[in-house]
Amino acid sequence: MAALRLLAIAGSGALAALVACDDLKNFGGPIPAYATVQLEVTGDPTLLPGDADLEVAMVWGGQWLVEALCILPPENMDATTLLAAGCRDPFGFVPARVDGNVAADVGVPTTLPLISLPSADLLIGDVTARIGYASLIVYDDRDHNGTLNLARPNRIPGNGMGMGSGSGNDPGTETRDVVYGASFVAMTQADQRVAYREGSFSPVAAFYPRAGCGEPPLGFSMLAAGGFTAQAAIDATIAGTLPKEDPASCAETALSATTIQVPLQMPSLESVKELGCTERTSDSSVRYLEPDPTEPTPDFTDRVTACVHLPSFGAPSDTVELVVSGRTEDKCVGISHYVLKGCRESADCGSPDWDHSTAPPDWWPCGP
Amino acid sequence: MRWFALVILLMPAFAAADPGRLLDDHSFDTEPGGEFAGDLGIVAAKPTSLPVGLSTGIGAGLTRRCGCMFSYGARIAWSRVTEDSESWIVTQDDFRFRVTGAILHEAGRGAIALRLGAGPTIVHEVRDLQQGMRDPNSDTPQQQHALRAVPAGELELVVSLKIAGTWLVDASAGPTLAIDSGAHGGWITQMGVAWRP
Repeated sequence: MAALRLLAIAGSGALAALVACDDLKNFGGPIPAYATVQLEVTGDPTLLPGDADLEVAMVWGGQWLVEALCILPPENMDATTLLAAGCRDPFGFVPARVDGNVAADVGVPTTLPLISLPSADLLIGDVTARIGYASLIVYDDRDHNGTLNLARPNRIPGNGMGMGSGSGNDPGTETRDVVYGASFVAMTQADQRVAYREGSFSPVAAFYPRAGCGEPPLGFSMLAAGGFTAQAAIDATIAGTLPKEDPASCAETALSATTIQVPLQMPSLESVKELGCTERTSDSSVRYLEPDPTEPTPDFTDRVTACVHLPSFGAPSDTVELVVSGRTEDKCVGISHYVLKGCRESADCGSPDWDHSTAPPDWWPCGP
Repeated sequence: MRWFALVILLMPAFAAADPGRLLDDHSFDTEPGGEFAGDLGIVAAKPTSLPVGLSTGIGAGLTRRCGCMFSYGARIAWSRVTEDSESWIVTQDDFRFRVTGAILHEAGRGAIALRLGAGPTIVHEVRDLQQGMRDPNSDTPQQQHALRAVPAGELELVVSLKIAGTWLVDASAGPTLAIDSGAHGGWITQMGVAWRP
């Protein structure tokens, strides 16, 4: 009797074995795409070197505010030169994270499947209404690692700070990849961008705004806008509104219905170079350096310097700071700030971490 | 103070021990038991297919002794593991059906056995696309299912100890082998109670 039972169990197992014959995939197998971007690199292929490893990356944009020094009128000629050398275009697209990459050829349409959704830190807004924008950036993958490596400004390291070599998710100050253009370069130029929207949409949000255009559809979509002028942005900001786009230049379509054009441009253009540069802080805050008299003189070779008052939108400040640009060979522009008295996060802190105002270092060029 | 002293003096007159004993010399007496035994316990094992994680669940078995050194029986066990990658959340249920044979040796209240089991393991796999529910437009299937049976077996060392009456505690552990596009090694453990009337 017991033997019969065992036989029945074994038979059941054998039967199950016959019907259960799917393949287990574990973590493998193809990942279904949420959407597919259709794109085409256009323009003059002679801009590229003969051995170019051309790729297109979809890069999500970050929320970033330029520091006040870069948008206020320069107070002297040195400052004018420094701002030209050290300030990023306040209307430019600022990359936050590279999503996908695909090999491309000039004039040949290709597709980029989107196999992941943007994470919450890339979406601006709350869980009921948030949105993210991405630019398609065409680049020469000089290090042949299959992805666009972003760089960040090469600021002067302060006491106890690293030399900016980059580690983990913190990009270094150098990258071998060379950017040749993008579908979304700056808000002051016509653009085509990939959008991802969850929930409702706030028309007054100033995150890469498209005032005057229609709302982005839910989920992934392609948006286009003609761009606005810098003066229009200034006027709108003073009026407490957003600069208007020309409605005739606007488009909001499904990704499957459009081929996004990615035009090649001169890689030496500052606006194009900046497409490969990310920023460490996004709130226009400044980190100050201590001009320590006990330390060796900082190396300002190939950097532009200027002495300026602390930037202020109200009454002028009495505090003078030394501002230093990056080097001409740096991938990304940036400004370093020295104050004789202050803290790392603020020059006006109540209890300064350092005060060399009575005995500045010998190399200090800005007076007491 | 006088009342307190009176209470203290009278207390021994009211205090008394229970007439019976909760534990006595026969509380843990055991019975030799019959030829059939059943057991139930918790299972922890390396997943049959998934390369990472710990699969946990329950298992049960029936055993019949023939003579004093051999036994045979059947076992069934279910265990589940859930792990995730950047793209998938993978859940696998392992259903183990086994026919077993064992050689054993008894020593006092305890017994030790070497048990060989063989039979199919049916793996039910569910894969959920990470964060897939967030996309309102996607017509991508958010979940995938698969069912597969693989021949498998294990060699376990089983230790059991009589506790009281017909009840025992037992524990087993040993290596496993599953054949699915090659041999996949692993391990399995179980701890639980057994009943041998």
